[in-house]
This record gives sequence, C-alpha cells and structure tokens, in this order.
Amino acid sequence: MTRSPGLFAVVRSEWIKYRSVRSTVIGTLIMLILTIGIGLLIGLAVKGHLSTMTPVERATLDPIQVAMGGILFAQFAVGVIGALLITSEYSSTSIRTTLAAVPNRLRLIAAKAIVLSVVLFVVGEIASFIAYFDGAAIFHGTIAAMPSLSQGKTLQAVLLSGLYLMLMGLFGLGLGLVLRQSAGAISTYTSLLLILPILVFLLPSSWQSHITKFEPSVLGQAMRSTTGALRSGTPVFGTWSATGILFAYCAAALGAGIILMQRRDA
Amino acid sequence: MISVEHLTKRFNDTTAVDDLSFEVKPGLITGFLGPNGSGKSTTMRLILGLDQPTKGRALINGKSYHSLSAPLCEVGALLDAKAVHPGRSARNHLLALAVSNGIPTSRVDEVLDFVGLASVAKKRAGNFSLGMSQRLGIAGALLGDPPVLLFDEPVNGLDPEGIRWIREFFRTLADEGRTVLVSSHLMSEMAVTADQIVVIGRGKFITAGSVDELTKNASGTVIVRSADNTKLNKALLSANASISEINDEGIRVSGMSAAEIGDLAFAAGVAVHELTPERASLEEVFMELTHDSVEYAQAAKEVK
Repeated sequence: MTRSPGLFAVVRSEWIKYRSVRSTVIGTLIMLILTIGIGLLIGLAVKGHLSTMTPVERATLDPIQVAMGGILFAQFAVGVIGALLITSEYSSTSIRTTLAAVPNRLRLIAAKAIVLSVVLFVVGEIASFIAYFDGAAIFHGTIAAMPSLSQGKTLQAVLLSGLYLMLMGLFGLGLGLVLRQSAGAISTYTSLLLILPILVFLLPSSWQSHITKFEPSVLGQAMRSTTGALRSGTPVFGTWSATGILFAYCAAALGAGIILMQRRDA
Repeated sequence: MISVEHLTKRFNDTTAVDDLSFEVKPGLITGFLGPNGSGKSTTMRLILGLDQPTKGRALINGKSYHSLSAPLCEVGALLDAKAVHPGRSARNHLLALAVSNGIPTSRVDEVLDFVGLASVAKKRAGNFSLGMSQRLGIAGALLGDPPVLLFDEPVNGLDPEGIRWIREFFRTLADEGRTVLVSSHLMSEMAVTADQIVVIGRGKFITAGSVDELTKNASGTVIVRSADNTKLNKALLSANASISEINDEGIRVSGMSAAEIGDLAFAAGVAVHELTPERASLEEVFMELTHDSVEYAQAAKEVK
C-alpha cells in the first residue's frame, strides 16, 4: 500500500489544510470582497467627480487603475493569508506534526506555495475581472469610458492584477517562513507596504523617484498600467520589468525562508 | 527497530543530548526514562528528524527518517498532543496527514473510531480536552499502521481509565511485533508498562535493561538479625561492608549479598536469626541512578 507519495500528495494535503481552517477561507473571501467592493466605491467616487476634473486630470485618468483600486486593500489580505499559512503552524506547534509526515521541507514549502498560488491566482483573476466589468459599467457612456478587453493592454492589465495578488501572497509566505510568527510577519508585511513609502517620502525628492518605483504597490500599479505612467507622474518600471522585480522579491523571500527552514530545528 | 548512535545535540552552550547510544527492539515496550529536562523529548525530535543532530544519528530500521518516502507508514509518533491547528477539525487534521502519505482516507475513520473520537470528529481540535487531544495524537500515530511507534509522556492528562486503556494498547502493539518507545519521567508508570528500560540523565545514557535486571543490579539492602549484633557489626565493618542502619531490630547492610553476610556471620561464629534481602523498587533505582544528574541540574540552575 505504500506507493511513495510525492509532491502531488503533499499538495492535496495542503489544500485540505487550506480549506479546513476559517482564517484562510475568510481571508480569501475578504480579498475577493475588497477587490470588487473598494473598486466599485472608488469607481463611483471618480465618476461623480468627472465633471469637475481639470483637463490634465481627465487626460491622465486611467479607468483601469480606478477599477482595480481595491487591490491596494486586497494586497493586505493576501499577505496575511500567505504568512498565516506557515506561521499558524509554528504558533500551534503543528509544524512538528506536519514535518513528521513530510520530512522533506522543500517539498512542504513547494506544496504550500503551489496551493497558495493556485487559490490566489484563481480568486484574484475572478476578482479582477469582476472589478473590471463593474468599472466598465460605471464609466459606460462617460468621457472616461473603459477600454474593452481587446483594446491595447487592457486584458494584460486585468490578468496581471490577479497575478499581483498571487505574488504578494507568496511574498507573505516568504516573510512567514523567515520570521515564523504571525505578528512579526504580518507587521513586517504591512510596514513594507505602508511605512516604507512614508519613510521614502522623507528622503530628498531626487532619491524618491529612484526608490518609489521599487515599492511593491507601485510595482503593482505599473503592472496594471496601460499608459506606462502613473497619474501622479511618478516614474515607474515597464509592465514586464515590474512583474519581474516582484517575482524576484518573492523568490528572495521564499528562498531565504527555505534556506532558514532547512537549517533551523522545528 | 530504532538505533540511536552517538546522538548529540547542543543548543548554544547547553548539551541537551550527549553522545547517546541505545537500541529499541521490536516486540517489546521500551520505557525511555529520565527526570524532566534530561533530553527525552529532544532525543525523540532527533529520531523524527525535526531537529538536526550536532553529531551522531538515529536510524529507523536502518534508515534515516529523512529518507523515508511515506514516514507515517513506518513511524508513528505522538510528541505533543497539542501540536494540532486549533481551528481544524479532528477529521480534517487526520485527513491532511493521511493524504500527504498516500494513506487511504477510509483509514481516517478507522483510527477515529478506534480512539473513540468518531462522535467529535467534526469538532475543532482546539476545543479538545488534554485527554481527547492525546487520543487524537494516538490516532495520528496509528494512521499509517506503522511498525515503529514513539510516544512522549503519553499518560499525561489521561484519567485512570485512559491510563489503563493506553497500557493495554501499548501491550497490544508490542505483541503485534511492533517497536514501541514510550518516554516518561514516572518510574512507577514504567515499572508496570515497560519490558525494557533506557535511563538517561542530563542527556547522557545511564543504564538500560529489563525491569528485573535494573532492580537486581541496584544496590539493594539486606536486613540481618543475629544473637550478637555487636559482634556481627564488628565483623561486617572489618569486611568493609557499609552499614546503613543499626538498631535493636537488626542491621541494614548495603553492598553485600545475603549469602556473603551469612558466610561472614558463620565465620565470626554469630548465629543468624534473620536474613532478609530487600530489593530496591524501580523507583529507588531510578532515584539513585539519576540523583547526580538532577542535583547537577539544580546546582547549574542556581548558579545561573
């Protein structure tokens, strides 16, 4: 009966774990609701302001960025989900039970990362497309009409919005692996997204433009940008550079986490 | 079969396990005994590959834990009953474990039934009592029907009924030819549960053997009563025996067998009225064996 179970068995096991705990299930729903709900609210707010906007504001208005505004909130949910996926194992000491069943730590992390990626990508894409269609409905018939999916980089921007949520979840998982405790990992994650931009703001403005574009949420905006620039005029990376840099962040966090986990006692 | 070979684990400046070697044989219940903090749990974590040894190794049927492809089918372990995500139901907890090792899901319900948790299988494990958690841990250990089983302080938190149940359960496992290692700091528990005992103190191997062997080799005492205790006392002292007690009732001698004392009395021309060997209880043996390590630990704590 002992056919050697491989990565797929561990992925199935991690999927059972993912869906059998309230925190991850609720977290995933919150991410969905924030992406759609906040996008809707921002869209309606912007629509109400269209008539009072300056010509410059109107010219640089990117309706896709507006529709995807909820992602700025949802990115906190995915980071928390990712971090909790591993830190909850340490806080409950169930990591010992888990590692006794799956002694290959690399395989365990790979399985967790795969489950997290698939769930966040699928739910992230669903959320992004709903947010896009909501935005399209809101701006229908206005001067800021939403480009159709077949126009320009629209489809790419929507798809990359879902991918951004997935990558930020993986980044949270990496932080969780390194820090091994929920409070530490979640506060580090939120600090990187919220406090870091404030600190950068205090730097000389000539530095700011060089640093800001590396911030995760700015990379996310660059990924969904169809115009190649942000409304604020902040220089950003091109779509694929931004995607690549965010991938590199995830790889670095996960890589550090895997190396540390191989070395540390459970 | 578990082979522990020169296993050593250092944490910064403390040595939790110190060049420990012993074997745990199949078909027997082996008690793993030591005072609290003597390194029993660390040794078990090392056997399960949870901690990396500083030196030495632990093998399960000749293989390292990391090389087992479906470890739950080879080793079942209950280290910490609370090592379960509190928000997950008992059934889902076991289901995730089973699936990760390719164990059929029907086995989950079997083990839940066996430990008597079937009725609460859908309840969150975080709300379980310690006794229920122990049973969930046992269910997890049995999932893969493994030939080797490890239990760390399994009777903690069990009621007398549960303790009796678990003793019979260990016996059944051993009778089925499985290797069973049970740790405890309670000598009295091991005396009634285990066939073989491995004693450690301060991370070091102290002794191993059957319960009988351990009590036999320990310095038991002999009570001797004679017609002339004064004369016998003198004879004993000149033979370098150690007298631990002397009163009207008789003399308590340690470090000498009853036969030796009888011979000595005969040679001294003292009539012996009573010669009673007093076997040390396993508890006393344990106290004697681990006395140094406990005392040392206490002193070390005070210095810090």
